[in-house]
Amino acid sequence: MTCADARDLVLAHARGALAPADDAAVREHLASCPACARVDNAERTLSEVLEQRLPQHPASLALKRRLAAEWPPARRARRSFKRLWLPALAAAAVALVLTPLLYHRLVVVPTRREALVTEAVNDHVRVLLSQRPADAESSDIHQVKPWFGGRLDFAPAVAFGGDAEFPLRGGTVGYFLDRRAAVFLYSRRLHAISLFVVRADGLDWPARPLETASRGFRVIAWRAGELGYALVSDVSAGELRTLAAKVRGEPA
Amino acid sequence: MATERAGDVGSVGREALAYADTLHNLAHYLAGNDPDAQDLVQETYARALRSVHQFTPGTNLKAWLCRILRNTFVSEYRRRRGSPVVGGLDTVDPVPDVADHEIDALRKVMADELETALMSLGEDARTVILLDLEGLTEVEVAEVMGCAVGTVKSRLSRARAALRRRIGEAAR
Repeated sequence: MTCADARDLVLAHARGALAPADDAAVREHLASCPACARVDNAERTLSEVLEQRLPQHPASLALKRRLAAEWPPARRARRSFKRLWLPALAAAAVALVLTPLLYHRLVVVPTRREALVTEAVNDHVRVLLSQRPADAESSDIHQVKPWFGGRLDFAPAVAFGGDAEFPLRGGTVGYFLDRRAAVFLYSRRLHAISLFVVRADGLDWPARPLETASRGFRVIAWRAGELGYALVSDVSAGELRTLAAKVRGEPA
Repeated sequence: MATERAGDVGSVGREALAYADTLHNLAHYLAGNDPDAQDLVQETYARALRSVHQFTPGTNLKAWLCRILRNTFVSEYRRRRGSPVVGGLDTVDPVPDVADHEIDALRKVMADELETALMSLGEDARTVILLDLEGLTEVEVAEVMGCAVGTVKSRLSRARAALRRRIGEAAR
């Protein structure tokens, strides 16, 4: 491997994103080339600096409110009487027929896996939209877990208190379908990760880890005893899997 | 069918709003100021709403919105301001050596110095660095930037090398 090849690959190498053969070739080259090893060191340092120190410029609350009010816009609805009312009347008729069925399927017997995944993603989006996602802002699991006392009808069994890779940001109480959920907030670089913990009774919660994706978010759900767990984020599948293993207390 | 479409618009809209912070951050680093960034984000959402039927469910909505934002910036703001992209990212020159003082400068750089250094790069360099930081894949970055997937890796390497160099120069 030449220095030029190695330097194009050091970033992917640092992120563990290379195929084993390429990764081994880069590793071997770095061991024998101090100049490329310095590039590797610089790339790792730059990643850390960008993730931790680059100022972020989030949207203001006023802008978010304007955007929410415009989607869907009133003007689109006014464009055509027929285009508005015919679908609306059809929708109302369909709703009249489907409402009891949907109520039974989604609320009374919320057993379908898709409903769990959809709810997990919806709840994660709600967390992202919140101006103050964590009601208990702390990176100390021993402060976050006691905060749930008296706010839930179960004790969320989560031992992972975050680390340099996935720092804990805090916790909050959410609603998952018909019940309360403990929400633990972690992060990875600039990405928010939500861990929902709920009572699993009456839900078709997967006993073995279920990995899926929905609307651009990745979800890993599993059951441990009486509790259901769901991790949701837009980080890579590998990163979410790593966090799931840490939450489950599996050895690295 | 109409009900399904309306539902889709609503659900895409709710999810799209979750990316307002990401889009505003990208817009700020493209436009260089908050008022323009706000206009850019609003126009992005307006365009996204008009073309929501073109969004493929199951694909990355954040990447789709970033592409609309960048296209809006290119077609509206950059032309208005008459500031073309600074090129040089697609060269075949290898990533240059790194001096020890560059690594020291990186370790000591402050937030405002980092922002200044990033803003001193061309728009394509800023964009590729920020999209990568947002966790977009090379395929998604290529779609946003309108370039080949194979080009993204080299563009990113050179953009990051340029950023390291700017930070090192500022520290001397």
